[in-house]
Amino acid sequence: MMVHLEGVIKRFGTMTALRGIDLKLQRGCCLGIFGPNGAGKTTLLKILATLTRPSAGTVHIAGYDAVKEAEKVRPLLGVLGHRTFLYGHLTACENLRFYGRLFGTKQLAERITEVLQLVDLVAHAHQLVRTYSRGMQQRLAIARAILHYPTLLLLDEPYTGLDKHAVSRLQELVLHLRSVSCTIIMSTHDLHRGLDLYDEIAIQCRGKIVYSGPSLGSDVQGFEQLYSAYVG
Amino acid sequence: MCKDSNSFIALMSGSKVFLQQVLALLAKDLKTEWRTREIFTSMFVFAVLVLVVFNFAIGADTELIRQVASGVIWVALLFATVLGLQRAGQLESEEDSLQGVLLALRDRSALFVAKMIAQMVYLLAVIICILPLCGIWFRIDFIACIGGLGIVFALGILGLSIVGTLFAMITLHTRAREVMLPMLFLPVSVPLTIAAVYATAQLIAGKSLGDIADYLTLMVIFNIVFFALILIVFDYIVEE
Amino acid sequence: MRILGTMLLFFIVFPLVFVRRNSLFQITIMYITMIVAIFLVFIYAPTEKVQGIVQKIFYFHVSSAVTMSFAFFVVFIASIMYLWKNSDWWDAVALSAAEIGVVFCTLVLITGPIWARPIWGTWWSWDPTLTLSLVLWLIYVAYLMLRIDAHDSKRARFAAILGIVGFVDVPLILWSVEKWRTLHPKPVLIQEGGTTGLTSAMLLTFMVCLGAFLLLFFYLLRERISVLQSRHALEVLRHEIDEILAG
Repeated sequence: MMVHLEGVIKRFGTMTALRGIDLKLQRGCCLGIFGPNGAGKTTLLKILATLTRPSAGTVHIAGYDAVKEAEKVRPLLGVLGHRTFLYGHLTACENLRFYGRLFGTKQLAERITEVLQLVDLVAHAHQLVRTYSRGMQQRLAIARAILHYPTLLLLDEPYTGLDKHAVSRLQELVLHLRSVSCTIIMSTHDLHRGLDLYDEIAIQCRGKIVYSGPSLGSDVQGFEQLYSAYVG
Repeated sequence: MCKDSNSFIALMSGSKVFLQQVLALLAKDLKTEWRTREIFTSMFVFAVLVLVVFNFAIGADTELIRQVASGVIWVALLFATVLGLQRAGQLESEEDSLQGVLLALRDRSALFVAKMIAQMVYLLAVIICILPLCGIWFRIDFIACIGGLGIVFALGILGLSIVGTLFAMITLHTRAREVMLPMLFLPVSVPLTIAAVYATAQLIAGKSLGDIADYLTLMVIFNIVFFALILIVFDYIVEE
Repeated sequence: MRILGTMLLFFIVFPLVFVRRNSLFQITIMYITMIVAIFLVFIYAPTEKVQGIVQKIFYFHVSSAVTMSFAFFVVFIASIMYLWKNSDWWDAVALSAAEIGVVFCTLVLITGPIWARPIWGTWWSWDPTLTLSLVLWLIYVAYLMLRIDAHDSKRARFAAILGIVGFVDVPLILWSVEKWRTLHPKPVLIQEGGTTGLTSAMLLTFMVCLGAFLLLFFYLLRERISVLQSRHALEVLRHEIDEILAG
């Protein structure tokens, strides 16, 4: 069991963002989390990323307790959040080299070239990130997330800012990662794109997971019906 | 015996990783600063402004200026520190990059150490640049006491960086960051300021290191206490 | 003997904080002590020979200073407990103690100059206690501002760290200010009366006055904590109602 959440509750002051989340995910699985704004998807991903602690409940990632043994969990994670986590005054290469050194990635130079190829940014590798478009920054952020060979990849609304071409590259990347047993959890608004990428889907609404089950494949209509049934 | 050597190896490799991460963070900060030179420039210009304005405010009495020179220099450094920290904080909060960095760190206090050292480097650069100017404007011969001065300045900027970085990280997410940072930083660093000012003044007046031993002790204790305290509570600061 | 008396007072006063049932009892005790204290200060205690009637401010000034220090000590302990246990109650204790501490600190800063002016001829003499109070005032007012200002979820935690840092700084501030003080020319009419050469009548008066102040502190602390708790509970309820209405 790669990911195991039980009874996770998260309160921010007087507001409750997560009201008891239970989640189980096998290694190599790709999970898509859908839900409206305010459902708590980002909070859930932040807890998985050990960026914040749950107010109650347990979180186990790769067998480790993500709260008590966070330092063991972090090297296994790749995170793509709402912000790119990039430094504008450095080039793409320098950004990746920086993160690579932090993570202690072996054979860093080759790996950097590899991920830049995967996200199609080799031509702009030595430009300052400030000069990048939003889509390019998002692609570089994805490269940063996978740089250190994470076993669990957390993507929070990864399609933001990507054009069609970049979207299909991302989907190819997800397929590639699945083939190397990387577990992926993706949260998105998008009910149409890439539905066949997921092994499992979950619908989150107002802090609870209201539906979880195997993916419906490419059945867009069926999924839309399912979604409106639970979310309205 | 085997367990001992295992945990020793773990400790050593942990320290090596820690050092590597600190160096990576430091290199990133310094490289960015080298490209833009924003932080140093604003710190230096502001410090010079403080010195000049004080000169005008105090008047043309050269003897009086010599007596207050030490205080004026340290006031300039204090405000330069605040400015530098604010600029550095702004750069970080632009893309929320700290979150990305925290994910990669095993021991999160590596972030604190790196930021602290970076701030020290900026302050050192500022001091090196303004000291000749002070020598000329205040008509003080710094060369004569440069050894002792070196120690006082080293301890002083260490302390300012320690406390300053702490409050910079705390006020990173507050709404009125520009106000809160100095409001927190300046009162808490009063002991350091007092010790630094009077140690410098004594040295300029020709006293030896032995005469200012009290002040030096205070500064050393201040630095140790706060550094240890911050290492203990740092996790609480950076957690969401 | 003085220390013994103080400790005795603490032991009497402390349990009263936790007597939850009868706050009326606590209020009564507090008022009686205050009235007795005022009587003692103005009628019973002998007028000091050199300083005259102004010396009577000393009772209020030093009591305020002691209460203020105790308040900030409470902030320190509560901050540590909050970081350790992550319980809202400790956070409420820290905030309340800080607020009341700032009030008493302000009193120190007001009574100090009032006392100093007739004696030393100047409003402010930069003596260590007064200067320490000034710096602490700045730090803890910043503490209160931080609580208003900081991003919601981290607010209490940052404040707790400041509460710890501020108190740890106190001995350092005291040391540095005392060293600094020795460099300043002393004001002309220094009278070191007040804490030395107290008659036993004065000592008794001081103890009772201090006791009254401490009782006041604990009473205010309790009331403030319960207000904070109630407000917190109200917010939680309000959110739940919003949720139910929206759902």
